[in-house]
Amino acid sequence: MSTKLPKLHLPKQRYVLPNGLVLIVSRREGAPITAARLMMRGGTSQDPAGKEGLSWMVGRLADQGTHQHDEAELVTRLEPCGGSIAGNQSGLSGSVAGDHWKVLLETLLEVARHAAYPNDPVRMHQRRFQARLEVEQEDPRSQAAQRFRHLVYGKHWMGRPAHGTAETIGAFTPKDLLDHHRSHWAPDRAILSVCGDVDPGQVKKLVQRLTRGWQQLGPLTASKSRFPKDGNRLDAFKKSRDQVHVFLGHLGVRRSEPDWASLVVMDHILGTGPGFTARITKRLRDEQGLAYSVYADIHGTAGRLPGCFQAYIGTSPQHVHTAVGGFLEEMRRIQDETVSKAELKLARDYLVGSSPLGFERASQRAAYLVTAEVYGHADDHLSKLPGQFASVTAKMVRDAARKHLRPDRCCLSASGPVTKQGLRRALAQ
Amino acid sequence: MIGPKTIQAEMRKPAPARGLALPGTGAKVHEHYLRNGLRLVLLERPGDLVVTSLLWYGAGSRHEAPHEAGVAHFLEHMMFKGTKRFGKGLVDATTTSLGGSNNAFTSFDHTAYWFELASDRFEAALELEADRMKGLLLDPAEFISEKAVVLEELSMGRDDPWRRLSQDVSHELFGRHPYGAPIIGHPETLQPMSVEIMRAWYERTYQPCMGTLVLAGDLHPKSTLSMVRKHFGSIESGPAPAPVLCAPLREPEGERRIEKRWDDAASRLVMAYSTVSVGTDQDFDLDLIDTLLTGGRVSRLYKRLVLTDGLATMVGSSSDTRMEGGAFWINAEAVPGVDLAELERVIEEEITRLADEPIPAKEMRRVQRTLRSGDAFEAETVSDLAEWFGGFAVDADWRMLLDWEERRAAVNAKRVRATARQLLTRERRVVGWSLPGKES
Repeated sequence: MSTKLPKLHLPKQRYVLPNGLVLIVSRREGAPITAARLMMRGGTSQDPAGKEGLSWMVGRLADQGTHQHDEAELVTRLEPCGGSIAGNQSGLSGSVAGDHWKVLLETLLEVARHAAYPNDPVRMHQRRFQARLEVEQEDPRSQAAQRFRHLVYGKHWMGRPAHGTAETIGAFTPKDLLDHHRSHWAPDRAILSVCGDVDPGQVKKLVQRLTRGWQQLGPLTASKSRFPKDGNRLDAFKKSRDQVHVFLGHLGVRRSEPDWASLVVMDHILGTGPGFTARITKRLRDEQGLAYSVYADIHGTAGRLPGCFQAYIGTSPQHVHTAVGGFLEEMRRIQDETVSKAELKLARDYLVGSSPLGFERASQRAAYLVTAEVYGHADDHLSKLPGQFASVTAKMVRDAARKHLRPDRCCLSASGPVTKQGLRRALAQ
Repeated sequence: MIGPKTIQAEMRKPAPARGLALPGTGAKVHEHYLRNGLRLVLLERPGDLVVTSLLWYGAGSRHEAPHEAGVAHFLEHMMFKGTKRFGKGLVDATTTSLGGSNNAFTSFDHTAYWFELASDRFEAALELEADRMKGLLLDPAEFISEKAVVLEELSMGRDDPWRRLSQDVSHELFGRHPYGAPIIGHPETLQPMSVEIMRAWYERTYQPCMGTLVLAGDLHPKSTLSMVRKHFGSIESGPAPAPVLCAPLREPEGERRIEKRWDDAASRLVMAYSTVSVGTDQDFDLDLIDTLLTGGRVSRLYKRLVLTDGLATMVGSSSDTRMEGGAFWINAEAVPGVDLAELERVIEEEITRLADEPIPAKEMRRVQRTLRSGDAFEAETVSDLAEWFGGFAVDADWRMLLDWEERRAAVNAKRVRATARQLLTRERRVVGWSLPGKES
């Protein structure tokens, strides 16, 4: 069998338009879908205290009509082309089938620039979101996850739900949304990626025309990040269910962390390797049969700010103690012992060999290009990554685990038939 | 009424294709039958340097005897637990070492095993699949620990109010036919299940003549055929599976209603109509009705229930056609405090409107165009393509994809009306509500 690696080819043209908008276009001949992503810098970090969910709602309801067209007109233009757009706290994304990329960009940028937040649709969706959030307040898995983030991030905006709460969401007026949109959405804070069977020059020309006159706002001022100190904090959400959802972990790393490649390899050995190849999955699911769903990782949530190390299991109440003990033991083991040659080889081979996969969809490419721009990845980032993984050693994995995992200072959040007392005992193992 | 069938009776007749273009997908179809009965379909689509392997067995939960309920799905788990040649963990370890992914899924009518690998190394998937078609260990200790995992999966489903309600509605809709039972089985059948029961099922149904291997992506038809022959050619096909006797699907005899409780603030509605099998003309009509009702923001039900009347926080629908019959599902979550009878009345009104009024030409054109454009998403990746194609190949006939456009274009206002009148009637439906409150 050949061991020669196929190379991923992700061509791109990067432009900075006179209004500051960064446009990245990736052409792929014959692609049946064109995807676009418009990222607005800031996101949830711009939500004032007490107005949690504002950025999310501004993004989510941007497509409810513009100063030129109502929602039905926008939708009637897009849907017959297989097109759709959706928004959230990070901006807008959309896709379209066939050669209708112009329709997609015209709609997306009209929405981004001229969202009108008309009263009736906003009020109607507001009631919907409130109702959804009220249901979510009773949902054990959502509650355990939200409470875990709060334990780790405290009062920092990252510890608050991006969607806000039923109370905060219910208090916004259409004017609040309009004001927030006007004061945060601007071309010099935007990155737009477009991937599909498109001509980069034509895309640039169109985007330039569609964004002409869009007012700049200047760069965002970054606030200082303060997170709670590590410690054994815990929370329990009691509910009568068959299973308990358990989240265990602590503050993690930034994407710029120099140990990044070592941590990715560590994650694959510890808790994210495919199938049952990772230690935690092998132990808790494959050998002990405690769960259907179980994982642990630190690299997946890393961003410009620290993500978190997070281990999750959904298991029967009688297994919670064993599961938490298993998480902690495996965290300690990967710090104390060097991983075996076979484990290291498997994780590295996977990370190197899987590099051509994961970019088949236009939306995956569009998302990657925005992420690469945010993190300042060089053009050869993707081609260099396999080499970085391949050069990780067992010692590097152990050093990274020692530096970044803190089994004795974990937070623990669980929901279902659990008590704080039981969780405290589990965490003390 | 559809009577009991044998698995063998459903097997397709060979009609090989050689390099036939599959419209709208950029793929060419090459079809072969090995001497042992294994069907091979190659979907040649250069571009991404990826190949997907999907091996389908025409055996799902529908083919289980009552004491075997859940065995098809449980076996799907055990297929990753080792063979005589590749011990426990080696399916995952081999896939992982090659940078690939694998998974599997079980339905009522079939079970399928999926690998995605870079195109220079997909032969490993063939080697693993051929090996586990016959050489599965079914080690008793592994069987016990995996049974615990399946029971946890069952618990996970029991904690999901939508899944529980849908299952109850399904049971009411399909009655004692296996479509009315959960694919995962019941604690009462899973707890006492033995290795012997599973082995008997495995040996009976995992035969080359029960398999359809779909390989899609950047592959060369000739060399791929040689590879498949090399790995699968020598596997002997056992005797054809014995007949499976099951309760027949009966014509519905009037509306049935279910009411359940769940301890949160939501009122959830699941409504299901008994419909038709996959690949029929009415299957196409129902796809159009599905898009007309809930496909997008100007669809009829979304517009009325969510946007105009503010009765629901969400509404969805799907046409779920299977080999022996089907269901048209509508689900909605009510805005707290609204009149639930009113919500149900609006749905009823829109369904009746389908039967009473012809769809205006403009709306028909929009929906047809939306459906056509949506096809591009069905085959965006080679895995999408393999799954889409394979589902039709195993449950119906993949050749229907050749005149897909024409058959869909043939759906008109008159046909939709006739189908709605015949299938979407009160007498053919089950209405299930899950309301706030403590479960009794």
